[in-house]
Amino acid sequence: MHKCNCENPLVPEIVEVIDIIDETPDVKTFKVSKIGGGVPFDVMPGQLAMVSLVPVGEGMFSVSWQEDNDHLQFAIKRVGLMTDELHRIEVGQKLGVRGPYGNGFPVEACKGKNMLFIGGGIGLAPLRSFIKYCFKHREDYGKITIIYGSRSYADLCFKDELFDKWPKEKETEVYVTIDKPEEGWDGHVGFVPSYLEELNISPENTIAVTCGPPVMIKFVLEVLEKMGYTDDQVITTLEMRMKCGIGKCGRCNIGSEYICLDGPVFTLAQLKQLPPEW
Amino acid sequence: MKEITAKIQETAARLLESGQVDIFIGWQKGEFEYNTKPFFAHNVEEAKNLVFDEYSIHNLSNYLLKFRDGHEKIGIVVKGCDSRGIVRLLQDNQFKRDRLYIVGVPCPGMKDPLKRMYEDSGFAVKKPADSEMAEKCRHCIQPNPVIYDELIGEEKPPLLKGERFKEIKELEAKSYDERYAFFEKVLSTCIRCYACRQVCVACNCRTCIFDETKPQWVGRETNVSDNMMYHVVRASHMAGRCIECGECERVCPVDIPLMLINRKLIKDVAEFFGPYEAGIVYEEGAKPPLSMYKEDDPDDFI
Amino acid sequence: MKVFKKGRLEKILDKLSESAEVYVPMMRGAQSGFFDYKTYNPDFDELVLEALNVLRPPKEVVFPQTEKMYSFKQEGQDVIIDKVYEDENPRIIFGIRACDLKAIEYLDEVFLTCGYEDAFYKKRRENTVFIANACYTPGKNCFCESMGVNPVEPELADIVLREYSDEGYVWEVKTEKGENITRLISDLLEDKEVQLPELKKFVIKVDYDGVAEKLKGLFEHPMWDRLSEPCQTCGICTYICPTCHCFDIQVKAWGDEGYRFRCWDSCMYREYTQMAGGHNPRETAKERFRNRFLHKLEFFYERYGKPLCTGCGRCVFVCPSGVSIVKIIEEIKGA
Repeated sequence: MHKCNCENPLVPEIVEVIDIIDETPDVKTFKVSKIGGGVPFDVMPGQLAMVSLVPVGEGMFSVSWQEDNDHLQFAIKRVGLMTDELHRIEVGQKLGVRGPYGNGFPVEACKGKNMLFIGGGIGLAPLRSFIKYCFKHREDYGKITIIYGSRSYADLCFKDELFDKWPKEKETEVYVTIDKPEEGWDGHVGFVPSYLEELNISPENTIAVTCGPPVMIKFVLEVLEKMGYTDDQVITTLEMRMKCGIGKCGRCNIGSEYICLDGPVFTLAQLKQLPPEW
Repeated sequence: MKEITAKIQETAARLLESGQVDIFIGWQKGEFEYNTKPFFAHNVEEAKNLVFDEYSIHNLSNYLLKFRDGHEKIGIVVKGCDSRGIVRLLQDNQFKRDRLYIVGVPCPGMKDPLKRMYEDSGFAVKKPADSEMAEKCRHCIQPNPVIYDELIGEEKPPLLKGERFKEIKELEAKSYDERYAFFEKVLSTCIRCYACRQVCVACNCRTCIFDETKPQWVGRETNVSDNMMYHVVRASHMAGRCIECGECERVCPVDIPLMLINRKLIKDVAEFFGPYEAGIVYEEGAKPPLSMYKEDDPDDFI
Repeated sequence: MKVFKKGRLEKILDKLSESAEVYVPMMRGAQSGFFDYKTYNPDFDELVLEALNVLRPPKEVVFPQTEKMYSFKQEGQDVIIDKVYEDENPRIIFGIRACDLKAIEYLDEVFLTCGYEDAFYKKRRENTVFIANACYTPGKNCFCESMGVNPVEPELADIVLREYSDEGYVWEVKTEKGENITRLISDLLEDKEVQLPELKKFVIKVDYDGVAEKLKGLFEHPMWDRLSEPCQTCGICTYICPTCHCFDIQVKAWGDEGYRFRCWDSCMYREYTQMAGGHNPRETAKERFRNRFLHKLEFFYERYGKPLCTGCGRCVFVCPSGVSIVKIIEEIKGA
């Protein structure tokens, strides 16, 4: 099931940054390809990869999109030492990557379903890989609803897709909200869970996929339950501190599951079987 | 000791009963006659398990850090050195005096249960010879509690025999190279288990510099250079703050003579800024010498 | 039976050291562990093959506390990985006890199964020969038998030594690797029929049966609050445990070059699960303590079908606060 393209799974492959996009004041998307072109490995939506700014550090990130056999995209928020440095690099910089890690979203099992994506902040990055996958295989999925929120307009990631590209897709609705009112914003204001409740998307033949800050997820799960979603209809992707990515180093366990190996994607039904340490 | 145990049980039961404290920290007996260990009594019934005997060596004041963010009222048994730990916590604003009920017990000198556990394990282990009393107690200058609400037992004379800083002076007399070689040798064996830090009441930083990742100040390799960095940085944070309980050295699984380093700092701080003994008297608002600046502070060692 | 007299031990070690690093139980100053015989200095070191065991388990021979993984160079925007340090040196662990060898079996599960093989571990492991030392006299804190270990028949051993009397050891070859090693020292062995000692009774017995299943429902049991009270979250128990294997990956760089290494980490440290964004799922001693024991007694069992404890007894006598896994198993049974 788990395949690694390198002989030694802890040694990264060197890739080149071919483009950097400023998403928000503290989020950038890095596009990377093998030196000479091509992806270092194939990734399914929701899978992870370890990215290293080699002399500084390594960090585990969700791959926010694989563009065919051309490049991988990582949307990375500046939160620590490594990501601080990463935000200072320029196009042409060589990075290390290893992966892909984790199970990814159940893209097959969701075929024929309506999809409800609920994201907050940088949590849209992993969802985006699934959203774009659905659009790429549009006929396989039913109606697509995307609810996304951030602190402010500036903090919304992937703005051109949110406001321009995705709403134009067939049978797709995109709802965007920001936490507090601000000048120039005439869209919805409020937190994601309450917006979700307001929109009250029917659970019928629908799978809800959510990712965002822990506190948002907590309330989103409550609202989904109220709206009639069963635990099997709700999917989330978890975050834990990771070092090895291959289920050896120990730290990312929740109960006997390793997030890097058995996760990061779980249905709510699966999560409820685990100790409440996420 | 039996009388002291009985009185501690009585006091703990009284305090727990009346609700004056929520938890009472003392010792209980373990599986063997010598492995006395820390115990947390939560109710009158449990107060019966409390003991005080010749193996009640642990400095329990460190456990107060577990409760520093709570509101529980805590009863705690302290010996002389442990009570200096309480002063440390009060001085460092880690604990409020009114949350504590301190039961002081003058200390006759203790034996080390950990050493006995090692010796009896059958494993190949060598712990420094202790005679009857634990090494740390041989250096004791303060067997009597310096802060308490209730004192149980008779005051005891200091256990230190002979010159206090004898070993330090011997070390100082050595050449720079000899000293470096000595510390390189002893610190190279460190396994970085951080037990010395974890049992230390003066190590009460919320985020220890060694756990800081942004930036990471000290490397995580177990080699001489990172080990030395760890111990040198920790030692300098102890200057003027170490209350000489000796727990760091006692729990070290590879027997690094940590108190040599700490005593050197105690001696230097007293010489430069003293006379000063950390945690001997509690005065509200008083600070250790290196936490304040005076215009006439000596600076010729810089 | 092939046997060797104790007086020949150093000769055997000398011979074996010609073609491999031979790790032998020694006291080196205050250190008690397995050290390379090539570094043995009789003025400072003491061979302690006869002792029950040594404090530092031999796991570090296959899984060193600090291990360089690869080095790199950066020039401008370019980065190259110039060397991967996979270590294939031949090694012999001489005198490993059954509990510590069982632990190697568990490390094999971790590093060599479940989706990925850890190449660093694999290379070391494949090139290590185990000369085990059968145990006939369990110590005061030993409970290996209760954890499914047979102290007189160490599994995975290439050769088993059996101390038949003060005179010497039986040399019992178990595998082809063992055959090959034996050929090197065959002139130091002799044929002799000897009476083997009987295994003495264990003082400590632990009933692990059903513990993993029972723990499934005890995650939020109040006993964890009480059991974790004395724990001061140092890492002694994890570092002297023959089965603990958690590690960190870090980098050392100076200017434009450096290396990435891994080093043992401990689930008892706060930083272990501290995330860059500030969240820590195991913030206090209670959560970390609970995770450690659940990992040993439940989670590992669920994943690999065995507990992550071989009953070596080390953590029982080294804990400064008197925490004992034996007591904890009893508490779980009684909960």
